[in-house]
Amino acid sequence: MRPLTLTRLLLRCTMLLGVLFVVVVIALKLGAVQVSLYGLGRDLVRVLLGHSSGISTDYGMIVMDIRLPRILLGIVVGASLSVAGASFQALLRNPLADPYVLGVSSGAAVGAILALIAENDLALSPEMAGVITPLGAFLGAAITIAAVYLLGLRDGQIDSSTLLLGGIITASFLSAVIIFLMSTLGGSNLRGTVFWLMGDLSTPQPRSLLYLLSFGFLVAAGAIYTTAADLNLLLAGEKEAMHLGVDVPRVRIVVYLAASILTGLAVSVSGTIGYVGLLVPHLMRLIFGSDHRMLLPASAIGGAIVLVIADTLARTVAAPSDLSVGAVTALVGAPFFIYLLRRRNA
Amino acid sequence: MPRIASILKVPAVGVALGFAFLSTAQSSAQATAPSAATQPATHEVVDEMGRSVRVPVSPSRVVSLAPSLTETVYALGLQGHLVGDTEYCDYPPEARKKPKVGGAINPNLEEIVALHPDLVLVTKSLNRLETVRALDVLGIPSYATDPHTVEEIISSTQKLADLLGAPVAGKTLSVELQNRLATLETRLAGIPPTRVLFIVWTEPLMSVGKDTFIADALRKAGAVSIVDSTRDWPQMNLEEVVRLQPDCLVFASSHSEAAARDFAALADRPGWRLLEAVHNHHYAVISDAVNRPAPRIVSAIEELAHQLHPAVFQETGAPGKDASPVREPTLPPAKPAAAWLRAPASTMATEFSCAL
Repeated sequence: MRPLTLTRLLLRCTMLLGVLFVVVVIALKLGAVQVSLYGLGRDLVRVLLGHSSGISTDYGMIVMDIRLPRILLGIVVGASLSVAGASFQALLRNPLADPYVLGVSSGAAVGAILALIAENDLALSPEMAGVITPLGAFLGAAITIAAVYLLGLRDGQIDSSTLLLGGIITASFLSAVIIFLMSTLGGSNLRGTVFWLMGDLSTPQPRSLLYLLSFGFLVAAGAIYTTAADLNLLLAGEKEAMHLGVDVPRVRIVVYLAASILTGLAVSVSGTIGYVGLLVPHLMRLIFGSDHRMLLPASAIGGAIVLVIADTLARTVAAPSDLSVGAVTALVGAPFFIYLLRRRNA
Repeated sequence: MPRIASILKVPAVGVALGFAFLSTAQSSAQATAPSAATQPATHEVVDEMGRSVRVPVSPSRVVSLAPSLTETVYALGLQGHLVGDTEYCDYPPEARKKPKVGGAINPNLEEIVALHPDLVLVTKSLNRLETVRALDVLGIPSYATDPHTVEEIISSTQKLADLLGAPVAGKTLSVELQNRLATLETRLAGIPPTRVLFIVWTEPLMSVGKDTFIADALRKAGAVSIVDSTRDWPQMNLEEVVRLQPDCLVFASSHSEAAARDFAALADRPGWRLLEAVHNHHYAVISDAVNRPAPRIVSAIEELAHQLHPAVFQETGAPGKDASPVREPTLPPAKPAAAWLRAPASTMATEFSCAL
């Protein structure tokens, strides 16, 4: 394979971004309400030029206020999950690792359910009520991250296999807590929770939350990217990497924390969407190789592409009803993962 | 080779651009949306969730997101204003023909917007809070009902009638319903209530909590639920049910034959056999209208009262049409155990998920 140069990296990323752009335009066109490609293009140009007064309110509301925010949420969540997945797979040197394997999603789910329970008892202003579930989910994720981190410590250092086992056990314990909490929940709370657990992008989030989310993504993904070269060396083994001059403990902490934060942010707004973080890095590795300097940005854009496609399917397959995007990713993801697995063995 | 890690991350730029685009798009969309001031005659009302909402004085394009609300709109004769409802809105049969906006729990926002509603009706017990918030974000007024008793169903109907600009129709309907309930109450005065188990679902066994409107409906029908739970849909322990020994099981179904089959299948179940009510075939099947907080619940209450207390209604020709006594003799032959597999009523399962 030819060495990765900046030009090649930028070229490939531009190509992927082009695919993402096409996918976004198609996703903007498709939906329960018919929108013509011409009308869509005309209105997009108008918006970009600032002549938005010519847009009919129907387009304005359906395309700009409903579809676009949802697609952008899908982009950030998909990118976060995929980058987290690629990072965990490198960190734990385990191809089965995904953002949820360390219990982050279960912790977030417990936090979200507790927030839903508390929401009934607290008299909150409407603005607060909208963010209490994401807030609870993020706190739940953060506490779980800290707990699993402490579980994974051995002689003051993170031990990959202990971390993995600690995470799996924490996840299964928290799943039991979720089932317990759900059996005590009443009707309308339960419905919200079920949607949340299945993974759902249909709830419009406050715009401030979207900004916060993309800011968090940039910081955390940027932090992981600074370790990309070290992650490449880590593939050869931790001892080998250490001999080659990699500050392994520092890399482990940075990657673990940043990837966990990415997961926590994604889960807090979208619930648990499976398979994106597991599959996309594998797919990108097949296409672009396992150099993390290429793999991480490719995973980010690839994850965005995959989740936007999945969510478009969720919006359109059973229209006018919405499916859960988590159901779509699992339905398509599991067989596809098996295909990848068999293909590699063959 | 250049140190790639130090360059700005490309996807990051993409996302940042996306958000820049979003902010332009949204602010411009807000600018084009007609402001509340240009629309004639709105007023502020407080809905049953305690939210202050600004709604048109007489809404002309209403979307209902719950079967019970659709029924209420029809009962008030305001179906002309109803421009859309959910896939579960099946009563009255004409309601099926209204444009559908998806399910009650996962309605499609695009379809709702495309119908240009000036008011969306929701109910707290069925719709999700997220849906209400999404409508708020889109600037579509929504009004939530939240009745917990039969009285509240009637007053909620009256409030809805006022909201939709038909206070007279609301008054007529609520007076009629009140009168029917009052008649029933006079008839049942002094009669000890029948201890019943209302069956929502048989596997797992689910009943209704004491704070639900269904439990209240049972009380109005001269019955009392043996379930003393504050949860809405408590899952019951069969042992506890055997200990409490209800006098009668109550099923809600639109198909009484199906309910009869279910009951026969129950008789073969271990545990259930120990119930006196099962042993003596004491069960009542009433319309599934009891599952919906809409005016039709009063008919279901009358139906149940006639089945539970036939003697009270015998002399004077009861108002309920198809009232029949608790079905003792009409027991169908017991089904083999295999029938149980499909038994706990696919009908009931669907009703539970769709009703209310």
